[in-house]
Amino acid sequence: MNTYEKDKLLKKIQEEDFSLYETVLYLDTHPNNSAALAFYKQRKESVASLKREYQQKFGPLTIYGNEDCSHWNWVNKPWPWEKEAN
Amino acid sequence: MWIYDRKLQYPVKIKNPNATYAKIIISQLGGPDGELAASMRYLHQRYSMPYGEVVGILTDVGTEELAHLEMIAAILYQLTKGLSPEEIKRAGLDTYFVDHTSGIYPIAASGVPFDMKYVGVKGDIIADLNEDLAAEQKARVTYDNILRLVDDPDVRDPIKYLRQRELVHYQRFGDALRIAQDNLDCKNFYAINPSFDK
Repeated sequence: MNTYEKDKLLKKIQEEDFSLYETVLYLDTHPNNSAALAFYKQRKESVASLKREYQQKFGPLTIYGNEDCSHWNWVNKPWPWEKEAN
Repeated sequence: MWIYDRKLQYPVKIKNPNATYAKIIISQLGGPDGELAASMRYLHQRYSMPYGEVVGILTDVGTEELAHLEMIAAILYQLTKGLSPEEIKRAGLDTYFVDHTSGIYPIAASGVPFDMKYVGVKGDIIADLNEDLAAEQKARVTYDNILRLVDDPDVRDPIKYLRQRELVHYQRFGDALRIAQDNLDCKNFYAINPSFDK
């Protein structure tokens, strides 16, 4: 497994997911803001595609993302709190 | 990190408010064997678990317990919606009402607020999994007791579902303990603590 590529992709997901989450908090108190809604739409699609790529290559990010038919990779190390995962 | 799913794990639809039921069911929110204690117990035990299968089951059961916490809160919300001060007084819920109105605050049925003392994290796989097996059984007994005190089928139905989940979790923690023992020294399970000794 290419750990450099894995780390790079995970960082990208963390960045984009964070900006999506930040937008969500803003939208909660500004539900009619069209600029925020447009940004949300664009970010959500980009995060979904990055996560799809990550899960196919490196294993599940959520319980819905185990793409391997021969093993439940959900229980593989490292867990998110381990240094190796960061 | 966590993501919120905007649905209950199992539906809660209670036609008739009932302060007396709310007063006892609140124990599964903030009581010693309640869902908040369960979730906190499992999610915090994960860090000292040496085997992936055990970390997996603690993560997923600990997450499901948060969904159960929400179901109990939904039951309490529907049971206390639209009650009159007289009904609250008659049920003895006035001592809760004075501090929390109709807010949902985690306490035991006795009135004691939620306490992390209900949560055991020993940092030892055998001790912690035995704690979890006991916790699931204690929660099952609490649900059995609630079912002895509650007649309304609208309330009994989600409570029965939650009781059944305790049994399933007990089974899975049993599997986890077997996996742990298969990985430990078969002559002496206590020879080392794999999360600490090298």
